Amino acid sequence: MSELPPSEDAVAAHVAAFERELAAAKAGRDAQTVRDRYLGRKNSIVASWMQLVGGAPPDAKKTIGRYANELKQAIETRWKAYEQSARDRAPAGAVDITLPGRIPLLGRRHPLTIVRDRMESIFTRMGFTIVEGPEVEDEWHCFDALNMPAAHPARDMQDTLYLASPMPPLAGDDDPRTMLRTHTSAVQIRYMLTHQPPVRIVAPGKVYRKDDLDLTHTPNFTQMEGLVVGEGISLADLKGTLLAFGRDMFGDRSRIRLRPSFFPYTEPSAEVDISCWSCDGAGCAMCKRSGWIEILGCGMVHPAVFEAVGYDAEKYTGFAWGIGIERVAILRYQVEDIRLFYENDLRFLEQFPY
Amino acid sequence: MRLVLSWLKEFVDIDASADDVAGRLGLRGFEVASVEALAGGDAVIDFEITANRPDCLSVLGLAREVATAFDRPLRLPSTDADARVRLAELPVARADGVRVTIEDEELCPRYAALVADVSLGPSPAWLAARLEAAGVRPISTIVDVTNYVNLEIGQPMHAFDAARIAGGEIRVRRAKPGETITTLDGVDRKLDPDMLVIADRDRAQAIAGVMGGAASEVSASTTRVVFESAYFKATSVRRTSKRLGLKTEASTRFERGADIGAQVTAIQRATALMERLGAGRPAGSIVDVFPRPRPAVALHLRRDRLARLLGAAVPDGDTERILGGLGLGVARAADGWDVVAPTFRVDLLREVDLIEEVGRHYGFDSLEPRFPPLTELAPPPDARVARDQLVRRVLMPAGLSEAITFGFIEAKAAELFADDAIRVTNPLSGKFDTLRPSLLPGLVDAVAHNRRHGRRDVRLFEVGTRFAAAGETRSVGVAWTGAATIDHWSGAAREVDFFDVKGIAEHMAAAFRVAVRFEPSRAPYLVAGQAAAIVVADGAERGAPLGLAGVLAPNVADARGLPRQDRVCVAELDLDLLDRARAIASDAAVPLARHPFVVRDLSIVVAETLPAEIIRGTILTAGGRLPAPLVASTFFDRYQGTGVPEGAVSVSVRLTFQAPDRTLTDAEVNQSVDKVLAALVREHGAIQR
Repeated sequence: MSELPPSEDAVAAHVAAFERELAAAKAGRDAQTVRDRYLGRKNSIVASWMQLVGGAPPDAKKTIGRYANELKQAIETRWKAYEQSARDRAPAGAVDITLPGRIPLLGRRHPLTIVRDRMESIFTRMGFTIVEGPEVEDEWHCFDALNMPAAHPARDMQDTLYLASPMPPLAGDDDPRTMLRTHTSAVQIRYMLTHQPPVRIVAPGKVYRKDDLDLTHTPNFTQMEGLVVGEGISLADLKGTLLAFGRDMFGDRSRIRLRPSFFPYTEPSAEVDISCWSCDGAGCAMCKRSGWIEILGCGMVHPAVFEAVGYDAEKYTGFAWGIGIERVAILRYQVEDIRLFYENDLRFLEQFPY
Repeated sequence: MRLVLSWLKEFVDIDASADDVAGRLGLRGFEVASVEALAGGDAVIDFEITANRPDCLSVLGLAREVATAFDRPLRLPSTDADARVRLAELPVARADGVRVTIEDEELCPRYAALVADVSLGPSPAWLAARLEAAGVRPISTIVDVTNYVNLEIGQPMHAFDAARIAGGEIRVRRAKPGETITTLDGVDRKLDPDMLVIADRDRAQAIAGVMGGAASEVSASTTRVVFESAYFKATSVRRTSKRLGLKTEASTRFERGADIGAQVTAIQRATALMERLGAGRPAGSIVDVFPRPRPAVALHLRRDRLARLLGAAVPDGDTERILGGLGLGVARAADGWDVVAPTFRVDLLREVDLIEEVGRHYGFDSLEPRFPPLTELAPPPDARVARDQLVRRVLMPAGLSEAITFGFIEAKAAELFADDAIRVTNPLSGKFDTLRPSLLPGLVDAVAHNRRHGRRDVRLFEVGTRFAAAGETRSVGVAWTGAATIDHWSGAAREVDFFDVKGIAEHMAAAFRVAVRFEPSRAPYLVAGQAAAIVVADGAERGAPLGLAGVLAPNVADARGLPRQDRVCVAELDLDLLDRARAIASDAAVPLARHPFVVRDLSIVVAETLPAEIIRGTILTAGGRLPAPLVASTFFDRYQGTGVPEGAVSVSVRLTFQAPDRTLTDAEVNQSVDKVLAALVREHGAIQR
């Protein structure tokens, strides 16, 4: 049949034969052989017709070429249809692939850990080292060394919880530990006592205060302390560091605002607001129409703190901040009740990314 | 501090609205709680005053800030006849109408008084309205005058009924042991010798700086009063107020630090007001007892230090304008300024305090953000950070989700897990009165919470601190109830059991490369017979207790609000110990074996009480001297029933042999299996099946 000269009848005959042979092919491989015989690059019927075009007299070239193309297109169309229907036919051992698969058990990180990890990674990129300290402290590390002597009214600012039976001092310390730390600032002191500047640390961890449990308070929560000490460290450096953090954490368009405030261990001290990322500072329900959201307290390390740890307060300056990890998580995830972080309801925990 | 706008404007000429004032001061250290409009176009701004600024618990103090912020002059109270805020001109004497004796100069370095003839009545509407706007209830002219002065210039005052001051004598002394006083609020209070009192010849008439006594309270029948305007030591007032649980407008100011220069001014101001109201006239001179006047605090501010700390060069003109505006004495010096801190600024003690003042008013907003230069590689983080992350990386793919619970729990819960948990002296409530001795109580409560909310399968872990008399350690706890495998249409899920949590513990130990063994545990909170103590099996910490794994006792589950029939499997491992026990293994990769291994299964029948660990020990011991090296042995079946005698169990073990240097022959392997079997027969009377 391959000897049939190109003609309208020959095209029809080849196409009919192709269909017959394809229908007879049992396996995919047989069908491929049939196809190749008609459509292959070499030694196929279409290929031989194409060759005829080259050798034909000029006046026949056009007609032969048209028949060759007609044949090629007709065969190709039928082959495509065959392939499609072959795919549509269910092979042996087919399963209902719409049934649910076996999903591997995969637990979640707690949202506070997600936020903490994110913050740690941001500050690590800025050259900070992550350090930790004890949750049970002595008053010297938690208060006195932070420029809060016993009679200081600032000790009332953070209602302290005391232990009924003290714990022994940590190695190298003198005082028994009698209280739960009210802030991670105590870690600053421990770090500076054992390291010389330059210092660039963040210290995440749990803190404890005699705060009522309500929508916005828990008596146990998590802070991340930051401390940078060196020669010539300025308030402008603090501002730049926190701005970089804010942009990474809350979005590129974030701006920050430092409002002077008071903490005994920093001077000057400031509260830091970040521009509301929901309205970009225009004022909305989220930022209570102010355009700003308060996120942390900070300041330049008070010289009395440097004196307490034996740093030269003339030579070195530094800045520190304390940020509530719950606060960041509440803002990031729009959580309305801080207690959700501590109920560990899986319906809540499973809302956060792996 | 509730600042009335019209009152403020008596001290500073500004056109600004309340919102403008609030906005500017809000960025200068005075957080605004609210701005409320008052009748007649007036307004009140409620500022939160930080603990270091007692001077701003007054209109005058805030007026200084406003004057500086708006760059307007401050109009100080004066004796000039045309002054907006007028002071009465009065002579000062050592004693006049009343004898004042300070017996404890440390606690009361200055005491001023004035005797006045008065006729009490209600205050005029303007004064009553101002007090009310500021949050103080008007009472009578004389009392209102003292309160007005306190709000206006920040100096607390008191008025005694002179007729009730025995002997015309005021003695500032410590309370006598057992002394009592009935305070103005009608409460009888026991005093102690640490407390300072204002006494007459016979007894205490006021608790210094805190509250007056009822006995000498001014009343409608009072015709002569003694005004008190004193300075009391902050720490003393604070201690007394705390011990008595009594906080007043006066104590709040004194305990943060009053102005030791304001006592006479306050009396002059009170007198001027009293005269203006027609409520009375002074009966003599101001008595001012101030034995040791204090030198002003002289400070020095270096221009360079200012620029370095703020990270900005503040123009000299701005620095001088700001410090001068705030009432500080400023004189140029070679490298900066000599500064004198006025007595009302008790917070200005060193150079950095001046830098704050300049920075605050110059505006933190004006600082160009910078980034502190990195000069060296950051030291490595606390090893616990990576360790805790490894724990999470191991447990989350095991299907456990992370929980975070409070560090304190209720004693009732702690008692189920430990006898000697540490108590909190002043807990917020009974729910949080004990430091957790273990992470399990918190996790069990979290499981109970989820069960109560209809969740059947709960798999949780927590990494956290636990507390004991010896100190704090960090551990990981696991609590697991419900399905151990996923729920799937192809077959029912299996319920969690002991071996799931044991597997978690084994997996964790392996992740830290710590060899462990499991021993029966009698922990009271676990089901007997399904409880294991996890012990370090090798190395320097060999024998140290690493933790527990088991099934929670039903009575404990019940006590924590879980359904009794729930099986809750728990485990806890000491992470600090796990870290210490970590084998310091070479991290070099081991070459892969090039010769084939041979597997043989061996089924034996032994007594059902024989622990698998013992069988394994026998196999490993025998495996030490075999022709074919034994590289692995695993239990793959355990069977009781038909074909196995009562009290016995059939155990199947898979033995893997492999030599590093050759292909093993059948003969070698057979001989080896025979030797293992022989050892099992000899040691345990095993019978091959």
